[in-house]
Amino acid sequence: MDVKKAVSGYRRNLTIVVGALLAVFLVLPLIVKTPYIINIFILVFYISTMSMAWNILGGMTGQNSLGLAAYMGIGAYTVCLIVTKLNWNPWVVSILAMLVTGLIAGVIFFPCFILKGPYFTLVSIAFAESMRQFIINSEFFGRASGVGLPFGEDSFLQFRFASKVPYYYAGLIMMVAVYAIMKRIDNTKIGFALKTIREDEDAAAAIGINPTKYKVIAVVISAVIAGFVGFFYASYIRYVDPDLMVQAKSTEFVLPAVVGGAAYVEGPLVGGLIMIPLSEFLRANFARVLPGINMIMYAVVLLVVIRFRPSGILGWYMDSNFKKFIDEKILKKPSLDVLEEYQMMNYESRKGGK
Amino acid sequence: MSEKPVIEVVGLTKRFKGLTAVNDVSFSVRKGGITGMIGPNGAGKSTTFNMICGYYPPTEGKIYYNGEDITNKRAYEYTNMKIARTFQIMKPLKNLTVLDNVIASCYFGHAAAKSREEATERAIEVLKFTGLYEKRHVLSKEMGTPDQKRLEMARALATKPEVLFLDENMAGLNPTETAEAIELIRKINESGVTILLIEHIMQAVVSLCEKVIVLHHGEKIAEGTPEEVMNDPYVMEVYLGTKSEDKKEGE
Repeated sequence: MDVKKAVSGYRRNLTIVVGALLAVFLVLPLIVKTPYIINIFILVFYISTMSMAWNILGGMTGQNSLGLAAYMGIGAYTVCLIVTKLNWNPWVVSILAMLVTGLIAGVIFFPCFILKGPYFTLVSIAFAESMRQFIINSEFFGRASGVGLPFGEDSFLQFRFASKVPYYYAGLIMMVAVYAIMKRIDNTKIGFALKTIREDEDAAAAIGINPTKYKVIAVVISAVIAGFVGFFYASYIRYVDPDLMVQAKSTEFVLPAVVGGAAYVEGPLVGGLIMIPLSEFLRANFARVLPGINMIMYAVVLLVVIRFRPSGILGWYMDSNFKKFIDEKILKKPSLDVLEEYQMMNYESRKGGK
Repeated sequence: MSEKPVIEVVGLTKRFKGLTAVNDVSFSVRKGGITGMIGPNGAGKSTTFNMICGYYPPTEGKIYYNGEDITNKRAYEYTNMKIARTFQIMKPLKNLTVLDNVIASCYFGHAAAKSREEATERAIEVLKFTGLYEKRHVLSKEMGTPDQKRLEMARALATKPEVLFLDENMAGLNPTETAEAIELIRKINESGVTILLIEHIMQAVVSLCEKVIVLHHGEKIAEGTPEEVMNDPYVMEVYLGTKSEDKKEGE
């Protein structure tokens, strides 16, 4: 039973490392009391989640969308409007927000998928911009001044807190949950279909994948997640205006995935954890010295990463000796053959048990 | 013609704007056999293939599969009908490992795997069959042409087809690799899969095919056993470029 021992040892080590990482995040608000720092982490959580939503479409399916901020905006507006006008519970409305964004995305993009490559990207930009213009010009949506959520006492039911710490934990849970969903998708039929479409649409059709169907699935999943993040954002900021849906925001959600490694489920998390604090650090320390210099420095970092590590930080890590060292010395990861044998052994015994 | 053909093509025609790429081609494929399609470059072989596989809608003509009209079926519906294909220009899923390439195929088609384990198990089976098992953890873009051609076949086989279309599966292989590929195709055929293949390498066509269809300028010019076809004067003219008058003068 060497195989079992090796695999369970590896699993244990992996659990310890991941658990330690989670523990750091869980304890952090108890040590760091500055709201500014907590705010940066909340940014990391929800922007990384948005980036994961982008990644299922851009990284996994290879459909470069640049209009994700619109879905987040739709989600946020749905929550703000229904909570203020009908006085519904925000948690209930969050589900509604996900349904609305998913539906809008599915209906709008279903006919758009005959468009390929850059044309799809253009449609996604146009969609986001037309949504924004529609809202700016609509009395119902509060025109350019936006819609606010009512303030009041702290209440979990209303998802309303004066302190930032509850949002910190909510954001963390949201990010981890979305990551778990993404990891699951990556390993199942949908994930394989999406990756096959990314690599070659004709090849996908040849093995029986209906490209349009799976692309719509990817768009809807992406939009539903963005809709939920919109709910989180609205509850946190307690206000939403059309500026949330500008093009720059959509781009902001793409960056963590690209910098971290768009081919990997973990890419947006790694990228988000590095790029967002960096951007905030540059803003805090250099923007006063010479306005705009922070943006230039941020752009330089971005250019360097994309020029020298086009597959992102994780793409570099996966091929590096550093990973080899960690796998062998710290995690004691068994070889792929052993992992495969273990997987098959489990399968055989389950088949036998049935 | 007592037995019903698996694939029957009737009057297939494809016009791209003014150009007629394929003109009124009809033929049939016998169940359990290996049928070849040859012809000079630009003869319309790949166009015919792409029409049969649902990639181009034919301008005219019908395609029957076990007697059922499948002319208007879409490309992605084919594996559900137990038909699979490979591509002349290989289309491996470049950034996935060889194993993942095949696992993706196992999830689809008429015998789609229900779980990751089932898919993996079947993928390993196919990889052993096609001789790619040792390379299963290699990224498919890092393999050479012969292995990528094998992977094309492995991906198609993973959908458990009854009919397999091979589009120039041996182009670019050296003689040893060609011999191996011929061996593999024969093995696939012996496991009960009907094969229709396009090929340039005559050695492969002669040793594998029981029936050959010759296309030229989009039209079928000959059909028969490899020997019959190769001794056909018109086919010789097309392939060797000798006109019948020249031949007479030379004699």
